[in-house]
Parts: sequence; structure tokens; C-alpha cells
Amino acid sequence: MTRCPASRIALFLAGLLLAGVPPASAEYADVVLNRMAEKEGMRPVIFPHWFHRIRFRCKVCHAELGFKMRAGSNLVTMGDIIEGRFCGACHNGEIAWAPENCDLCHSGKPGLPPGIFGGHDTNGPGIW
Amino acid sequence: MITQHFSTLVAGLLVAAAIPGQALAQNDTGKAVYDKVCVACHSAGIAGAPKFGDAKDWAARIKAGMDTLYESAIKGKAPAMPAKGGATDVSDADIKAAVDYMVAAAKNGGSSAAAPAPAAAPAAAAPEAAPKPRPAALSFNRLLKPASKRNPPPPEDGIHDPDNDGSYALQPPLSVFEGLPRSNAGNRINWVKALDSNQIAPRWDRTDPTAAPVVMDLNIVREVKGSMPDVVYPHKQHTAWLDCSNCHPQIFIPQKGANQISMAAILLGQKCGVCHGKVAFPVSECRICHSKKKDVMPVKNANAQ
Repeated sequence: MTRCPASRIALFLAGLLLAGVPPASAEYADVVLNRMAEKEGMRPVIFPHWFHRIRFRCKVCHAELGFKMRAGSNLVTMGDIIEGRFCGACHNGEIAWAPENCDLCHSGKPGLPPGIFGGHDTNGPGIW
Repeated sequence: MITQHFSTLVAGLLVAAAIPGQALAQNDTGKAVYDKVCVACHSAGIAGAPKFGDAKDWAARIKAGMDTLYESAIKGKAPAMPAKGGATDVSDADIKAAVDYMVAAAKNGGSSAAAPAPAAAPAAAAPEAAPKPRPAALSFNRLLKPASKRNPPPPEDGIHDPDNDGSYALQPPLSVFEGLPRSNAGNRINWVKALDSNQIAPRWDRTDPTAAPVVMDLNIVREVKGSMPDVVYPHKQHTAWLDCSNCHPQIFIPQKGANQISMAAILLGQKCGVCHGKVAFPVSECRICHSKKKDVMPVKNANAQ
């Protein structure tokens, strides 16, 4: 308990870095896909749930298109999309805009970890 | 005096920056096409694209000859360059103009300020958008979002890249949310109410806008331990959004008494927590689920007799 203030500050900063300060204001349920995007030299993908649920019921993507309801369980590649699977079932220029608009999906800040963002209000140490 | 010196200096810098800019501006069509199409990858050098104004990136390509460059631009080039940068409606001549524009910039880029110019514009705009972020430690509650920070437009939400042009083309949530019934958590929209009152009409089928869900109106009451009111699970609100197969049988066995559910499991993202806390309203809204008052305690009845 008699640690000098400097080492305490250093510890605190290290803690902040380790915790990877969560982005406080992302929209609830925004999903970041970044298992491949940055390795391939693109920005991470951000999927906004709110935008899609205004236009489609959950069931369309989560039953018809085969998106599993667990962050990290769907590995989506551009190849899939161009061949009409996953996002490509709608993003084909017919139902929604075609995949050539790279920067609309690939719009995340570099270095974002994949996962579901925007959590609950508190963004504290808990999961929700 | 100091300010005067400073303004002279700034004016001098601006003039210096404008000279190469003017030389480039001669190729107006090329610049227009570049700003609309090519900029997406070539401004930052994404996916191996030669970066705008970077003499080093372009040198080898310019050496290969302009005809080769034109061909790569029009027909596309592996691995990442799509034909005409994806904008197939642009004429060949305009694409060539854009190539000329980029090559000119690369040739100037080695010696002049042409390269930083496109990057400088968003950087200058950013401080205006966010004037003075208050240090987190001075907020009333560091963990609670103040009203001004709810539902921000994509470029300001902390996960979209403000340097990406596409971030500005995305719809800001508030432009839709303003007319919808509000709630206290999540997106701060009461989605169930919005759907019930036909304020939103999300499709039930990917292609058929007229398809309607088969809504099942069946409430399941789950008695809970302790003093919390019992949980009423409404199939109705769930089947309006979801298919039976989304929950049954993987998450919930469709049989009364067969499912062990606890708040701990929900907080870990199991059972109800597959959606609630991630995309549906979070568990902070206790009373939406715990909504059925328990019967009067039997002990009291015994005293009355």
C-alpha cells in the first residue's frame, strides 16, 4: 500500500491499455468483422444491426441466410458475398447495393477487434 | 506583431501549397473521376493500390508505359483492382483522364506538397467536428453515456473511421430514430412497439415484400425464486421477428420445464442472452420480463384465519 504515485499511475495506464478502452458511443449491436479484412489490407467491416432490422426481420438473415447468432461464428469472405452467400444474398445490386461499394462496409477504424459493440449503457467491466 | 508575422507565414504557406494544386487542376475530368471512384483505394493505398502522389509507388508502373496503366485501369488488375475501379458506367476516356491525373500527381509528388493535400483536408475538418472532448474523469458518471453521446452519426461513433469517405455516406441513426417510440436502453428505441404500430415494416421474406409472419400468441409463465415478479415470456413479440428454428431446439428445448435459465447464464450470453444484451433490450430492463406479480404470500392468509 506504500507504492509511490508514479508506479501507481503506470499500473493504471497499463490497466487501461490491457482493457483496450471500449469505444463508448458505438450504436447498440454494431458488429465488427475483422478476422480477415485488415490482413487483406482493408478497413474492418461494421455491420449495423439497427439499420438492417428496420428493413428486415431477424429471421431473414438468421434463418434464411445462415448467419449464426453468435459473434465470431460466421466467417464471411468476399468470395462468399460475390457468389451470393451471406451479405451477397441481398447486396447484389438487386435488393441492396452491390459489393463494389467497398468503403460503405469496410468503414471501421484500423485495429478494431472483431465482436459485438455498443454494449449496454454502462460499458463497465461487465459483459452487458 | 507576432500575429502579423504568423499570418504572413500562413499566407505564404497557402500560396506555396496552391501552386502545385493549380497545375493539377488542369485535368478537371481526371480529378472528378478520381474524387468519385479511385479515391476509395488510391488515396490511402489500400489493398496494394499505388498511393496518390507517392512517387515511389508509381515509378515502376509509369515505367511500364501509359498504355499498360490505361489497360490495368480499364480492364482491372489482379489481385484487387476492379475493372474501372468498380465504376463500369464511366467511359474509357474518363478513366484514362483519371490515370493521367494520378500519374501527374505522382510525378509532382516527389518534390511538392501535392501528396499531403488530399489527406490534409479531412484532418483539418476533424477538430471542428469535435471541439473539446471533456476528460472522462470529469463526467458525472464515467460509465454512463450522456444524452448528447447517444446514437451518434457513424463518423463520430468511435468505431467508424472518420478518414473513410464511406463513413459519411452511411445513414445516421437519429435520422430514423426520431420518429420511433423511445425506450431507455439499447438503441433507445422500443422496437416491439415500433413494429406493432407499423412505424417500421421490415420484410419477413428476403425478396417478397408482402410475406407476413405466422405469429404465435402463447405466453409462457416462468415462476422465479426470490422476490422478483415471475417472468412472462410472450411468443407473440418473438415470432413477429423470428422463426421458430432460431430458438428451438438449439437454445430452448420446446418442452415445459426442460430449460434451466438463470440470470447468470443470460449475462454470459446463453439462453435469452443470445439476443438480450446484444441486439434486443438488455437485462437492465428487469421489469419487461419480470412482469407478473406473485400471488399474495400464503403466510398472510394463515394469519387471517
